[in-house]
Amino acid sequence: MKKIISLLSAIIMMAACLTACGSSSNASAMTSVTTSEPVELVVFAAASMTETLTEIGSMYTAVHPEVSLIFNFDSSGTLKTQIQEGAVCDLFISAGQKQMNELDITADAAVNTEGLNFVLEGSRINLLENKIVLVVPEANPADINRFDDMAAGLEAGSILMAIGNSDVPVGQYTQKILTFYSLDEAVLAAAGVLSYGTNVKEVTTQVSEGTVDCGVVYATDAFSAGLTVVEEATTDMCGKAIYPAALMNTTAHTNEAQAFLNFLQTSEAMAIFEKVGFQAAP
Amino acid sequence: MDWYPLFNSLRIAAISGLIVFFTGIFAAYYVAKLPRLLKGVLDVVLTLPLVLPPTVIGFFLILMLGPNHPVGSWFLSVFNIRLVMTWYSGIFAAVVVSFPLMYRTARGAFESFDETLAFSGQTLGLPNTYIFWRIRMPVCRQGILAGAVLAFARALGEYGATSMIAGYIPGRTATISTTVYQLWRTDNETLAFQWVLVNLVISAIVLLAVNMLEKKKTERWSIR
Repeated sequence: MKKIISLLSAIIMMAACLTACGSSSNASAMTSVTTSEPVELVVFAAASMTETLTEIGSMYTAVHPEVSLIFNFDSSGTLKTQIQEGAVCDLFISAGQKQMNELDITADAAVNTEGLNFVLEGSRINLLENKIVLVVPEANPADINRFDDMAAGLEAGSILMAIGNSDVPVGQYTQKILTFYSLDEAVLAAAGVLSYGTNVKEVTTQVSEGTVDCGVVYATDAFSAGLTVVEEATTDMCGKAIYPAALMNTTAHTNEAQAFLNFLQTSEAMAIFEKVGFQAAP
Repeated sequence: MDWYPLFNSLRIAAISGLIVFFTGIFAAYYVAKLPRLLKGVLDVVLTLPLVLPPTVIGFFLILMLGPNHPVGSWFLSVFNIRLVMTWYSGIFAAVVVSFPLMYRTARGAFESFDETLAFSGQTLGLPNTYIFWRIRMPVCRQGILAGAVLAFARALGEYGATSMIAGYIPGRTATISTTVYQLWRTDNETLAFQWVLVNLVISAIVLLAVNMLEKKKTERWSIR
């Protein structure tokens, strides 16, 4: 009896493996790029674009039913690492120039220290601009109304602030704001006043759950999560938050990916972006 | 190197290990005496954290202990104590995830206990607490110890629920597991690897100590 069961399960497992191998080899045989063939586009995008891109994606697939969009939303730093480690990606939209530069062979070697070459030449554009804002939980328990209050509170050690870590673009912008106020991040971290999130949505959640006294996120995330924005950062504080987009040179669907990227720049798509606070990149 | 994560992890694991040791044993003892239906239901509820993903557990913990939610806001308003984003938030997470391990192992140990020993004690007029601590526990020693070690190890390695409920605040709520993740994410791989080695060493020491304890006992009780 035992022998029969083990033999049966072995056969079933082999069959499953063969089917899996079979189907994947079939997929790689379909490298044709005519628009009538069903195409799966994998888009890696910054977490701050979750709501907007999902909506735009449904709009796009309604008009182009042969394209199915697969989104991977996470911090741009994580996405860059995933691409570097060989993840399948056709289009990458980063929340910061740094992450895109690290994948772009034509970028400054001081930034692209590992000499990575993933950006498809000529496809890179600046897509969107976002604003950095200071947000507080609903009741604003620590009574923070401006960036100055935030800086004072951090220095005094009286508040807890959620920030993205140094791998996250919004964290990098926050670091610039801290430098603008002459605050040393390492000193603040040692004092236990900073709570690090691994992407902007973690920071947003910590603020909306009220587990921290304030946080620095994008205006779009504040809007989507219904957070109270107390102040918007000026360009002197942290520069402009520009979102670059580019095709990856490992893509098997250059035309479809380019078509989607072009769609993202149309007025229809921009309307959705602008609804939550994005602007077209200058 | 900032050694706070090590201190914090050990502290959380030790405290939750202690809590879980007593609650797990008592739960195992009393649940075994309940009527069948109640026993079945309680058994499922108490073992649930073992099969739930830690992130699900973290989510439920936030739903209860977060400042915008019932238990958390009550504590804030009455005692002005915040239950999340502090070092002791990690204890809640560790207790929930390691409780089933202690509970199940203790249950198994108690069920294989020869009840005639307890009966003999009762015929001799010994109080129940004496029978429990001086007869039942020593006989079930192996199982209880195994459960305690598993619970401690699980509490030491807890990541998912801890990162959600305690976050990562260097010098306050950082544990070894959350530190390794953050260091890896910020491209600090050498330091992350150092912490991995630290964790391996601690785990090895704990297991070695337990093995040595077990050996001593079996040697003492074996009939020569």
